Amino acid sequence: MFGKGLLQGLGITFKRMVGPNITEFYPEEKPNLPIRVRSSMGLDRDKCISCNLCANACPNSVIKLTSEKDENNKKRLSSYHMDVGRCLFCGMCVEACPTKALAVTQDYENAVFEPEEMKWDMLKRAEQKGKVG
Amino acid sequence: MDALYNLFNVLNNVFVNIAIAIRSLFADPHSVWANLTMDVINFIIVVIIVVLAALILILLERKIAGWTSQRTGPNRLGPRGWFQTIADALKLMGKEDITPAGADKFIFKIAPMIIFSLPMMTLAVIPYGKGMAPLDLDLGIFYFVAISSISTLAFIMAGWGSNNKYSLLGAMRAVAQMVSYEIPLLFSLLGVVMITQSFNLGVIVEAQAGLPFIVLQPLAFGIFLIAGLAELNRAPFDLVEADQEVVAGPFTEYTGLRWGLFFLGEYGNMTALAALGATVFLGGWQGPIFLPGFVWFFMKTGVIIFFMMWVRWTFPRIRIDHLMHLAWKVLLPLSILNILLTGLGIYIYRLVMGG
Repeated sequence: MFGKGLLQGLGITFKRMVGPNITEFYPEEKPNLPIRVRSSMGLDRDKCISCNLCANACPNSVIKLTSEKDENNKKRLSSYHMDVGRCLFCGMCVEACPTKALAVTQDYENAVFEPEEMKWDMLKRAEQKGKVG
Repeated sequence: MDALYNLFNVLNNVFVNIAIAIRSLFADPHSVWANLTMDVINFIIVVIIVVLAALILILLERKIAGWTSQRTGPNRLGPRGWFQTIADALKLMGKEDITPAGADKFIFKIAPMIIFSLPMMTLAVIPYGKGMAPLDLDLGIFYFVAISSISTLAFIMAGWGSNNKYSLLGAMRAVAQMVSYEIPLLFSLLGVVMITQSFNLGVIVEAQAGLPFIVLQPLAFGIFLIAGLAELNRAPFDLVEADQEVVAGPFTEYTGLRWGLFFLGEYGNMTALAALGATVFLGGWQGPIFLPGFVWFFMKTGVIIFFMMWVRWTFPRIRIDHLMHLAWKVLLPLSILNILLTGLGIYIYRLVMGG
């Protein structure tokens, strides 16, 4: 029949009109990210044994950490810096970590205004995160 | 039940009674001054209808565009974004008003005003309810079509006045399209005029008390809708404006509120044409008794307007030669056939009924 396609088209658009919309109201409603999203890093200071394996595993040498020995002759983490501007979030550091102190997290909204702000001090971030969450 | 019926009658006649009350303030209710006062009041009401319609329809169009593509449309300003058009209008008012160098200033400035004044003139003859036509004209349909065809002139004035060859080309396209589609539009209305033997819109509505003319004239209604869409330069026939291709044709050089007037005029014309369609084919203010006549009228108008928007966001733009073929080779013969069939039908009816 001539004009059948026109009616079909009208039907499709009407279905779309009354159907649900797929807009995400991002700032008001946070999206549910897919489980494999890797968008940020998190460090648990107490678990870290300062073995430096993560820094060695990193393909872009993002991770720089320093440690000092305490009275029990155990290494204690004193600073942990990541240059996130160069980080791929490949997760190799997490794989290398023997104590699961390091983890890829799903935090987003990591945009910053200055390039210096991309150098994360992971210890400070861990503390802040504890405060917020 | 009686109380309900009385309430309905009061609601149905509320505007007519107000008009009578205003008239009765004069010593002679039918003196020149009383008529003049009523005319001014009617004019103001029509202006309010046009402006309100434009304000609501612009938002509604964006909402429907959104819903069709599974978005929400404007949703920031006011409850669910219902104040968006006001913000848009304010933005347009704040814009710089540019008249191009070398423009024909008078024509350039008067074109948007003409476009905007046309829907007010055409909506003045529409009967909004029983005895509620602001201007009860005996040549109602004729007047309506004659006035709305002036918009062609305004388009070419805009194109010519802009002193821009692309605007002029756009205006030429507009004229070619609108002149072509006026003919099937007129002919589609003729069938109804033949049945009612009257150009008066009020009489046409009265004649649809039993059944609306869409039942008797389905072909004419289809032609009316298609030709009306083309006459209004709306998608899929919006080759004149075609935002994506020819940067709004004759309106290229317009800025700020002048451009806004074109927009308002476009939506006003859309309201007027939808009102005409509701009056002529859908039975105007006639309807089941549980709602007042003017509510029925505006609902029917709204349905036609919704259909126009629905079509706009469904179909892609038609090609210019297809457009002309559709007008001259399809719609015009069909509308003439419709007139023939209507005449035949009337003849047979008279033969059988002995009228």
